[in-house]
Amino acid sequence: MRYRDENKMQAIRDCAIEMVAKNGLENFGINRLAKAAGVSPATIYIYYKDKEDLLTSISIEEGVKMTRATLKGFDPNASFREGLWVQWKNRAAFSLDNLQAAEFFEQLRNSTYKDKMREAISLEFRKSMGSFVENAVKRGEINEMPLEVYWSVAFAPLYALIRFHNEGQSLDGRKFKFSESIMKQTFDCVLKGLSK
Amino acid sequence: MSACLHNMKTANHILIFKTNITTPEDRLKVAAVLDQQPFISKWTVDTEDIDRVLRIESAIAATAPIIHLIRSRNYECAELED
Repeated sequence: MRYRDENKMQAIRDCAIEMVAKNGLENFGINRLAKAAGVSPATIYIYYKDKEDLLTSISIEEGVKMTRATLKGFDPNASFREGLWVQWKNRAAFSLDNLQAAEFFEQLRNSTYKDKMREAISLEFRKSMGSFVENAVKRGEINEMPLEVYWSVAFAPLYALIRFHNEGQSLDGRKFKFSESIMKQTFDCVLKGLSK
Repeated sequence: MSACLHNMKTANHILIFKTNITTPEDRLKVAAVLDQQPFISKWTVDTEDIDRVLRIESAIAATAPIIHLIRSRNYECAELED
């Protein structure tokens, strides 16, 4: 008889995320995962019917986790400055605490799993983000612009800092460490750029 | 379906087997027997895995009968041990 064991399931999931993050999807398989996680393949099959089932379910879970973390304490009716700052703090905290998850998502880019993850990113998330920007435009805080332009200015700088941090260096091998004051300094420039 | 049979559909055993069920045709042949078992609520074969793992959600721990069923269709089947 086989029973579900939440701890074992978590260990399998963590290991799968780490393996995909490091080596990509191509070499990923149930047997390899079993070896890496120190369980038998039979154990993995108790929880998942195949590799696809496993990766789909992890993608959905991670998508939900990311959504929740990003929306924590976020009020779409807040002023642009306040709301965007909460977004930066939430996104930075999530990215820095979940390095593997970020790499995992990166590996899934252009895969069917990424679509599943996108579906999991809730309607609530899109609504909150959408109405936040809409409100800011209405209040005359920022100009109306294509989503891509907005995202590239509003968030891409933050992700550039996080990438430098993860790599431990920035340009020309300069040592780099992320900090709240660096984040704030960058944020102020972004805010200036977006504000009317 | 009677209440008894309905209850039997409540799967609380997951049975895992190593097989050589590989092609869609193979799958059809075993489907013919597996789909008839009232105690099996769900079954899948991971044909991408080297062990062609057959996973069965079942109301009873019918390991031996399932091995017998699959072998009766001339496929290999052995319990995949923990």
